[in-house]
Amino acid sequence: MKRGILTFGLAIAIASAAFSASAQTLNAIKQRGALNCGANGTLAGFGLPDAQGNWAGFDVDYCRAIAAAIFDDPTKVKFVPLSAKDRFTALQSGEVDVLARNTTWTISRDTSLGLNFTGTNYYDGQGFMVRKSLKLNSALELNDAAICVQQGTTTELNLADFFRANRMKLKTVTFATSTEAVKAYDAGRCDAYTTDASALYGERLRVANSNDHVVLPEIISKEPLGLAVRHGDDQWYDIVKWTHFVLLNAEELGVAKANVDAQMKSDNPEIKRLLGTEGKYGEALGLPNDFVVRIVKHVGNYGEIFERNLGQPTPLKIARGLNALWSKGGLQYAPPVR
Amino acid sequence: MAAHTPSGTSYVRAQAVAPLPPPLVESGAIGWLRTALFSGPLNIVLTILSGALIVLIVPPLLNFLIFDATWSGADREACLARPDRPVVGACWAFIRERLGYFIYGFYPIAERWRVDAFFVLLTIGIIWLLAPTARRRTLGAIYFFVVMPVLACVLLLGWPAIGLPEVSTTQWGGMLVTVVVSGVGIVFSLPIGIVLALGRRSRMPLVKLFSVIFIEFVRGVPLVTVLFMASVMLPLFVPEQWSPDKLLRALVGVALFASAYMAEVVRAGLQAIPRGQYEGAMAVGLSYWRMMGLIILPQALRVTIPNIVNSYIALFKDTTLVFIVGIFDFLRTIEAARVDPKWATPVTSTTGYAFAAIVYFICCYLMSRYARDMEARLTTTHRR
Amino acid sequence: MDQPTSPPRLRPAKLKTDVAIDIIGMHKWFGDFHVLRDINLRVMGGERIVICGPSGSGKSTMIRCINRLEEHQRGRILIDGMELTGDLRRIDEIRREVGMVFQHFNLFPHLTVLENLTLAPIWVRKMPKKDADDIAMHFLRRVKIPEQAHKYPGQLSGGQQQRVAIARALCMNPKIMLFDEPTSALDPEMVKEVLETMVQLAEDGMTMLVVTHEMGFARQVANRVVFMDEGQIVEVNTPEEFFAHPQHERTKLFLSQILQ
Repeated sequence: MKRGILTFGLAIAIASAAFSASAQTLNAIKQRGALNCGANGTLAGFGLPDAQGNWAGFDVDYCRAIAAAIFDDPTKVKFVPLSAKDRFTALQSGEVDVLARNTTWTISRDTSLGLNFTGTNYYDGQGFMVRKSLKLNSALELNDAAICVQQGTTTELNLADFFRANRMKLKTVTFATSTEAVKAYDAGRCDAYTTDASALYGERLRVANSNDHVVLPEIISKEPLGLAVRHGDDQWYDIVKWTHFVLLNAEELGVAKANVDAQMKSDNPEIKRLLGTEGKYGEALGLPNDFVVRIVKHVGNYGEIFERNLGQPTPLKIARGLNALWSKGGLQYAPPVR
Repeated sequence: MAAHTPSGTSYVRAQAVAPLPPPLVESGAIGWLRTALFSGPLNIVLTILSGALIVLIVPPLLNFLIFDATWSGADREACLARPDRPVVGACWAFIRERLGYFIYGFYPIAERWRVDAFFVLLTIGIIWLLAPTARRRTLGAIYFFVVMPVLACVLLLGWPAIGLPEVSTTQWGGMLVTVVVSGVGIVFSLPIGIVLALGRRSRMPLVKLFSVIFIEFVRGVPLVTVLFMASVMLPLFVPEQWSPDKLLRALVGVALFASAYMAEVVRAGLQAIPRGQYEGAMAVGLSYWRMMGLIILPQALRVTIPNIVNSYIALFKDTTLVFIVGIFDFLRTIEAARVDPKWATPVTSTTGYAFAAIVYFICCYLMSRYARDMEARLTTTHRR
Repeated sequence: MDQPTSPPRLRPAKLKTDVAIDIIGMHKWFGDFHVLRDINLRVMGGERIVICGPSGSGKSTMIRCINRLEEHQRGRILIDGMELTGDLRRIDEIRREVGMVFQHFNLFPHLTVLENLTLAPIWVRKMPKKDADDIAMHFLRRVKIPEQAHKYPGQLSGGQQQRVAIARALCMNPKIMLFDEPTSALDPEMVKEVLETMVQLAEDGMTMLVVTHEMGFARQVANRVVFMDEGQIVEVNTPEEFFAHPQHERTKLFLSQILQ
């Protein structure tokens, strides 16, 4: 029933997306004076309000970066908390300009849902948490282990696939909610707990003694998370996409919040092009040429955003892993500014 | 024997019998124990079982909520088990730090006094309308149904012209949203429900058909679906600039949903009114609406007060479902906060849910308590 | 005994025409059941008619047609010259002029006695509350229970409730009063007080239609007695003639059963 409604809704959505497409998103945002950003609101490190109700998180900072590029003011964002169920329609109907809600990039979403994914800002995937005392180094050593998992999720399917592919024996213990699963793992009912790595670090804090537990390095599924925009407004698509790329480029070239003013005087042609002291790459996007300066000055580069929200200074302590720059053994790679 | 006549007609009493005091029953503590707790084998077993259950549940609960609880602290460290403190109870420090968020959601801190003012206005309205000793209740009703909503809208949404910056509803959250959603549902569901119930009993076929279809359709669909339709489907049909506010859509959905249930509650009350009441009212020349408003509905609503309050309590709890459309009600703010790495510990979730349970329980218990008192008041003064 | 305190009596409202009620060739069906068959009855102003007959003979239905609690399907009913049709305004107008007293009183249990009495004058006659209260107290004194004004109907005895019901009808200052078995639901010792009230009303010259089995009342106040059986008016006569020389076999049978 629900599925039927959803499909029906989406069919209409695609039809209506064609209508609203011609609207110039950037102009609308400028006129409104704020970016409407669809955010999560319940995922530690990605989108979560703090004690004062201020939004903070990795995806949230992406929206602030876009606002900084347009307005030179990262506070000109209206965050719209979206649930997993209504996030796509909110984007399709124009309620939000950009969806920054840890959304996995898949072909069906990219095509038939009428979305455009603007890149992968976080390479996520399913991982395992185990007790340090087991002295495991790899998920491949989990043969015959009891594994706690939330039932009815793709996580459960991925788990079975991974064990079968590696000819290992699997004992799953399933639970309706992640809270229950973590509780059971903590109580010793399983040897390992599995879910998406981005959440795994958060769950680690909810066990009695988080320092006794580690997240294994293997990622057994592909969950590329990214920002998405509506089909049909290429200029806006480019702006969001290049916000991500310039954040990566800034990190790669060593342009950071603290040194961005000094870097303006750099002789490095790549930095000059990035910061708009040479060329008119911003104008081509409909933004000022120094838009990268604005972004980095207000929110920092990719590495800074990552560390601030997910990295070592935070209780989550997520390692860069796949999200390290390509030059440092990770997958984050941005096309050049030129 | 002495009371009887000697003539042989012994079944005729010659003298009146003076009233006697009732026979002595066992009284005092032991008597009470014997009659109330240990009056038979089944009763004894039940008493022992309930006693065991209480012993099993209450002490650990008190330990968790009070004796082992953490009352202050700056972050998760305070609520973690340490060698010198192996058992950790509820992490109230977390609730304390996040209380503002649970009450106001994302409402800007500088403007939160407006929410407080709204709560004060609302409390005045509720007391004025519901307190048994309140005076000038008509004025109170005008205040509650006209003045207060307008003031509340200006306060909460803002009016830049008079120096109140606009606060969009996407920034509302927490208790504020729970109160607004359930309040609107409660206030609107009764009148709409009454109209639907009358429509369903109407002799006009079209009115009746519409009422029946509306009631049965809405009752046949889960609230989640109604909310989902109101929130997700509507914007697809209506251009974005005309599309109503997200919270408003949820409010309409909740109000319509509650109305359909209220209609059935009211209908049951209407059916309990004897035909003579209708005839009595018609015979003195009252028109249909006067008959309904003055004679039938006051009686029908009175017999349905317990059911109406039941619906209200259910509605209050159902408002938690607005999270499905991304609105952060009270429960949702707790759920969001409990995953915050700053506070995430093994007891944080439990504490959050315990806090939610306590708050919801207090609200619902107050409602049902008030309804019981009102029922008792009405039955003593307005006996049939 | 309470003559010194007895209040002045109000004269019943004047009828516009001489004929209070004119029923001409009226029929009514409940589904397939032909409950009233060719009823013809003319009631003159100030006349007091007692209607009797075995149960199920249609006598209650007939008087309920007069203020449109039941709808007749054929024939005509004229109340003080106004024809009763489906027109809702006409029906309300007629109901204002015709008071009705029911077997089960049909008082409003959620209102005090006084509020029961003043409700219709205030809402239908648009009378100021003060005047309505005065009139209500006047009629409560007439039915001899002014001290009960602030009680609820449930706190009164059956006889007192029925007297309140009569007072409630009188407060609308009706031209015609209909009584539908007003004493049938009462304990025997309370019948008398209600009948006394009705006799008083008759003495004031009120046009009355009374469905009752109280033959003593019929002898005392009725101008005519109407006997109904199987949905038809079988016999109409003066009480003296009706009781002394019943014309019809069914009337004789009925009287023999009721008077033995």
